[in-house]
Amino acid sequence: MMRWLAAMLAALAFCGAARAQAVDTGHLTAELVSQTQGIAPGQTVYVALRQKIQDGWHTYWRNAGDSGEATTLAWTLPAGWKAGAFVWPTPRRLPVGPLVNYGYEGEVLLPVPVIAAADARPGQTAVLTAKASFLVCKEICVPEDARLQIALPVTAAPAPPDPRWAGPIAKALAAAPRSAALTAAFARRGQAVALGIVGGPLKGADVRDAYFYPYDSTVIDHAKPQGLDRGPAGLTLTLVPGYAFQGGAQPKALAGVLAIDGKAYELTAAPGPLPAGAGGLGPPLPKAALGGSLSLLPAALFAFLGGLILNLMPCVFPVLAMKAASLAAHGGREQAQARRHGLAFGAGVLAAFLALAAALIALKAAGAAVGWGFQLQSPPVVAVLALLMTAVALNLSGVFEVGTSLQGAGSSLAARGGLAGDVFTGVLAVVVAAPCTAPFMGAAVGWALTQPPAAALAVFLALGLGFAAPFVAVTFVPGLLARLPRPGPWMEVFRRVLAFPMYAAAAWLVWVLTIQAGEAALARILAAAIVLAFAAWLLGLEQRRQAVAADGRRGALGLLGVALVAVATVAVISPPYGQGAARAQAAPRADLAGSSYSPEKLAALRADGKPVFVNYTAAWCVSCQVNDLVVLSTPPVAQAMKRDGFTYLKADWTRRDPAIAAELARFGRAGVPLYLVYGAGGAQPVILPAILTQGVVIHALDAGAAKAG
Amino acid sequence: MGFTRRTALVALTALGIAGPALAGPQIDQPAPDFQATDASDRVRALADDRGRIVVLEWTSDACPYSHKHYDSGNMQRLQAKARRQGVVWFTVMTAPRTSAEYMTPPEVRAWKRKVGSHATAVLIDSDGRLARAYEAKTTPHMFVIDRDGRLVYMGGIDDRPFTDPKSLKGADNYVADALADLEAHRPIAHPVTRPYGCSVKYPPLS
Repeated sequence: MMRWLAAMLAALAFCGAARAQAVDTGHLTAELVSQTQGIAPGQTVYVALRQKIQDGWHTYWRNAGDSGEATTLAWTLPAGWKAGAFVWPTPRRLPVGPLVNYGYEGEVLLPVPVIAAADARPGQTAVLTAKASFLVCKEICVPEDARLQIALPVTAAPAPPDPRWAGPIAKALAAAPRSAALTAAFARRGQAVALGIVGGPLKGADVRDAYFYPYDSTVIDHAKPQGLDRGPAGLTLTLVPGYAFQGGAQPKALAGVLAIDGKAYELTAAPGPLPAGAGGLGPPLPKAALGGSLSLLPAALFAFLGGLILNLMPCVFPVLAMKAASLAAHGGREQAQARRHGLAFGAGVLAAFLALAAALIALKAAGAAVGWGFQLQSPPVVAVLALLMTAVALNLSGVFEVGTSLQGAGSSLAARGGLAGDVFTGVLAVVVAAPCTAPFMGAAVGWALTQPPAAALAVFLALGLGFAAPFVAVTFVPGLLARLPRPGPWMEVFRRVLAFPMYAAAAWLVWVLTIQAGEAALARILAAAIVLAFAAWLLGLEQRRQAVAADGRRGALGLLGVALVAVATVAVISPPYGQGAARAQAAPRADLAGSSYSPEKLAALRADGKPVFVNYTAAWCVSCQVNDLVVLSTPPVAQAMKRDGFTYLKADWTRRDPAIAAELARFGRAGVPLYLVYGAGGAQPVILPAILTQGVVIHALDAGAAKAG
Repeated sequence: MGFTRRTALVALTALGIAGPALAGPQIDQPAPDFQATDASDRVRALADDRGRIVVLEWTSDACPYSHKHYDSGNMQRLQAKARRQGVVWFTVMTAPRTSAEYMTPPEVRAWKRKVGSHATAVLIDSDGRLARAYEAKTTPHMFVIDRDGRLVYMGGIDDRPFTDPKSLKGADNYVADALADLEAHRPIAHPVTRPYGCSVKYPPLS
């Protein structure tokens, strides 16, 4: 009691906030730090044991591993006060020769919940004392002790956070292993122990560095590598058993921490059959094979090249007509004027790329499993684009004009369409045509989406520059402009002709929409398109009336047209779309019997050692459709599949699908197309190029089948 | 450690490739045979002691856990009792010659006299071969081999994995238990326990 009083008096000498003294024990400095500046009666606050460990030395986790000893804290608390156990941060593996220890280097906070007595009196200061015992090791080990104190003012209401330590302690608590909805079981497998873990948090996680830290030091051989097998619902770790398994014995449970993808989860595995979906997909690909070894400069270069090549991909078919119309308009322009228009197009492309990339990064940060092309996975976006394409087509057909009155038609065609028109063309080209990935682009975009936002945006900027470069460059080559035909009546005919590819693009988007949202969407989008066409006709009528009357007044017809455009647009955005018929896309073609992909199906086939061809595709990916039509669904390829015993799986990404997005990410990709050839046996798949030929596919199939031998 | 993290990783990788096939010593299986030189330059082989119980004790003069057992006389008492029962007791010092922990044969002899060890001999395992054969992890790490050359116990010396000498009071000494069980022809109550202490200082694999 006397000591308690003395301590109280000593503590009163301090004013206000929690006070503690750091103690240098020789190889580390220890102190108690508090999350708050005080504590209210009955309140729980976190006090942390802070260790600042000398360079090269380390202290230990709750399971020290092959040697060493966990840090302990023995409290001496005022009557009625309580302290809980350490909230241990995820440790590091510390190899010592052929041994491995689990512990901490540098600075570490071990938070402990402290509960004030219910009858603690506000205004007093409680002195909490603890004896901390460390084993600090480098080449040798030194046991070090410290008697630590912290004086916490008792406050009537919960005290404000401690300005220095509230943040670090909250961070340590947030990063600490947490309990999660994981199901785990373990079973002997020959000499090894297989630990199967499944659950929501593992879906889509990067499992490459997964590691299991057991709480008990006798259940595994800490120093042995942990084998890894991926599964559709989780993973299986192959562990070398520890002493607890000697002589056929078996522990009642394997409890510990699974560190994975920068996070950590507590789990307890019971003996028994491994949960379904815990394995079968084989080990993850090494980072180097994924373009994970890329750095910013090569990634940006790849992106630029990919952007250039994207201009030649079937993907851009839908906007080809718009670009041609825009290019033809350069014919009568002055060099400087043409440049301005070229740069406006480039600006539209870059703005669209950056906006899409920013949205994608934000969505990913918010936890959505999205990839490149995500905008076309949304039915309302596809529907609006279909209407937009229809509007562009109607404009090219001459139903109505944009930006100018009909007065100047024919005489100043070259001047038609302001800079805004070129920006619009650029934006639309990106939104509609860029979702497919081109050669070089797949790896670059896949890499970018694993990087911090600044690096990712730089890569997308390079992609945009590559995509815009040829078109902008044309306006800077004087000879080329001169060679373009002068404008004349032929332009009008040319525009009328170009309208038809645009109608085709609209039809394609309607097809995509029906796959995403079913037949009900078809009626809706067609009705909206008819209303839009009527509105366009009304606008055209008004424009012609004004051309004749030249009174400059906006007539009722024009207003009605604008209103109808709004009605049509709103009608395709809301209410939300339903789900389309299940995987209409995946209906097997007569000549290529296939089935729709699921991670479970792939795992089962792989487990049987069967060769598998996986086609990651989407209805909105025109390149994918061309590959399907020109290569994959041809008789020679179908025969090769059959001959080589391949199972053909179609992974349709037309709609959002986290499982497919995760699988794409595993191969360092963020978009489609992606073609994987899993050979017979357990080998890693071969990735085929984004542009297929029959020869490439058949060669890969034959090579995959040969591996069985 | 005496060598870099990089070397350690290389060593780990080398072990990893060997994988479970190298699974260490197994209880009720023949104990790994060895030939090692003691502090008097005499070659000791496990096979020479067939028909006698053999105890292996890993130790280090630089380790506070080993010091707890020697400074208190606990280890010497256990050695003396075992020797009276006819047990062969080998103390093993694993440390590469480059390590600060390495002791030359004269230094080991002086250490043995100084601490009053009752061990039959102190084996100098500077190349780490003995430690690798038994997968010795800590100092102390204890192994008991029966008269037929089979491994019957491996693990800690007792159930108190602490450096504090006060922790010895009331400790359950697993080696004493195993020797008593062997004498009484009983099955070993705890054939495997967790070894505790400082890490054994392995030389890097060349």
